[in-house]
Amino acid sequence: MRFPIRSKRGRRAGLALVAGLACVVTAVTPQASAVGLGTAQSFVVLAGSTATNTGPSVLNGDLGVAPGTALVGFGLPAVVNGATHAADGVAAQAQLDLTTAYNVAASQPVPPGNVLTGTDLGNRTLGAGAYRYSTSAQLTGALTLDASGDPNAQFVFEIGSTLTTASASSVLLVNGASPCNVYWQIGSSATLGTTTAFQGNLMALTSISLNNGATVIGRALARNGAVTLNNNVLDNSRCSTGSTPGGGTTPGGGTTGGGTTGGGTTPGGAAETPAARSARLASEAARVSNPKSTTTRNGTTSFQRTPHATCTSGFRATVHGKLIKRVTFSLDGKKIQSNAKRPFVVFVRSLPGSHNVTAHVSFKDATRAKTLALGYRACADAVLRPKAGPSQFTG
Amino acid sequence: MTRAALTTLTVAVLATCTSAGLAATPRAARPSVPVTQPLVILLQDHVARASASTHARVIEPVAAMRPLTQVRTVLPVMGAVRGKDGNRWIHVRLPGRPSGHTGWILADQTVRSSTEWRIVVKVSTRRVTVYRDGLVVRAFPAVVPKASTPTPYGQFFVEEALAISPHDPGGPYALAISARSDIFQEFEGGPGQIAIHGTGGLLDPLGSAASHGCIRISPAAITWMSSRIGGGVPVTVER
Repeated sequence: MRFPIRSKRGRRAGLALVAGLACVVTAVTPQASAVGLGTAQSFVVLAGSTATNTGPSVLNGDLGVAPGTALVGFGLPAVVNGATHAADGVAAQAQLDLTTAYNVAASQPVPPGNVLTGTDLGNRTLGAGAYRYSTSAQLTGALTLDASGDPNAQFVFEIGSTLTTASASSVLLVNGASPCNVYWQIGSSATLGTTTAFQGNLMALTSISLNNGATVIGRALARNGAVTLNNNVLDNSRCSTGSTPGGGTTPGGGTTGGGTTGGGTTPGGAAETPAARSARLASEAARVSNPKSTTTRNGTTSFQRTPHATCTSGFRATVHGKLIKRVTFSLDGKKIQSNAKRPFVVFVRSLPGSHNVTAHVSFKDATRAKTLALGYRACADAVLRPKAGPSQFTG
Repeated sequence: MTRAALTTLTVAVLATCTSAGLAATPRAARPSVPVTQPLVILLQDHVARASASTHARVIEPVAAMRPLTQVRTVLPVMGAVRGKDGNRWIHVRLPGRPSGHTGWILADQTVRSSTEWRIVVKVSTRRVTVYRDGLVVRAFPAVVPKASTPTPYGQFFVEEALAISPHDPGGPYALAISARSDIFQEFEGGPGQIAIHGTGGLLDPLGSAASHGCIRISPAAITWMSSRIGGGVPVTVER
């Protein structure tokens, strides 16, 4: 294409305009694209070799290991509010999806200005985009991630070797940033210091270690090595849609106002995923082949718990009934498991105190979906052991 | 009298008899305090505000960890709303001065919990009563503050439980509560914090009014309490 600028003055102006445009283009940070976790999204902890816990950690999300088999120390006083998968097909598929997500994150283009090698992540504010450390990364203090009002803003950190945080460090999310959209691709291992308050999806090639009291709003996913916990809280409840087989919701759905929005699988909608489309077509085919399914209302349910003690460390909640299509269990309003096949059972454990467990039941025929509820009280530890501290009270 | 009127009268008489009969039936002990207290556990540092809005006045930062033992902060919940800004907010009791103050924190970065324990300190009877599920399970004689160094009255909560060195007074355990002395801004290097603690190394007899603001109970009593009661448990201090 040619621009017929005939005068000298006009050519100068044209060059200035082109130079100005070039400046504008280089000043804009390219947005990172979404990293889909696939079936790994329901996991809050996923390890390659072994997952080990010490102390009263709380995991809100699924726990898994593959191809290793060892899950050590996740009985009481630890609490796992989610399903457990040890070297089964679900964990293996999640590892495959994690590998895909890891590679997608590692291949995000990084503008030269976003190469942070040799600098500390602490005490700085970063906008959405992809950032790179060609070697190790260190976080000392607070890192603020600013979404500038865009709830779908993506933050991707490509770290060549290790990620280490100092004690009491933190990742803060402001202006609509969501922990679901923060990805930490780590070339070897991550170590979170004592009481670090971390956010985002840790995806390490080797291992992840959380020191005493560290918390993660997001996920700790290790491809080949171990995940080691010590009195931690890990929560993916605002990002996960539960352990739905073949989930595949894009994390780009984001979180608005504390509620999780899924991947937008409306029939005919532009954002419908292949998995959702095939499920919808199968459902429509079943409806055509069995016209009674849209007219009969023969679905039944009952919701039972065992044991029946007034105060238990955990209990098994079971939904019985006819023509049940899917049961989605929630604990205190957060989805913990979704079953499309019998048995419709979930084992629930939680922090001491009173809790509500609900089961949302949908049916294969025209019976209206219903939500059943059970209350239970988780016992406090029989014996608490206070830590030592200074005697500096008024006496 | 018509049949309808007779039916109405019969039903009314039956209802009266039934309710009288029920009233005369002995009932099980009814809880005299709330059965459970909702709690919230902080996963990271928060900012407490005067109302449920990000534009509301900041009251104070609330650390995710308690200062003495570095255990996670647990606060009693008084209510929750969804603010006009779309955020979920929780109304909580706060530690520190002024004693018994409250504020609003964002529900993000928190986990729900609850406790069935509750402590009531009655200064006039010099007694500490422990409730579980709304029913009394233990009551202990206590050393209460002397008149010149009173303890604040009101609704507070246990901030943290801690083991005290045998060489320090007030052992073997202490339940540090959210109240602060109105007399001492500083005491023994601390912020004038009120605690329920043992009598280890202190000679004043149980049942006396001799402390500087704290509540002292026997070593056996505080050992029993501190092995069951942790952060967030409500503490009511009455005259």
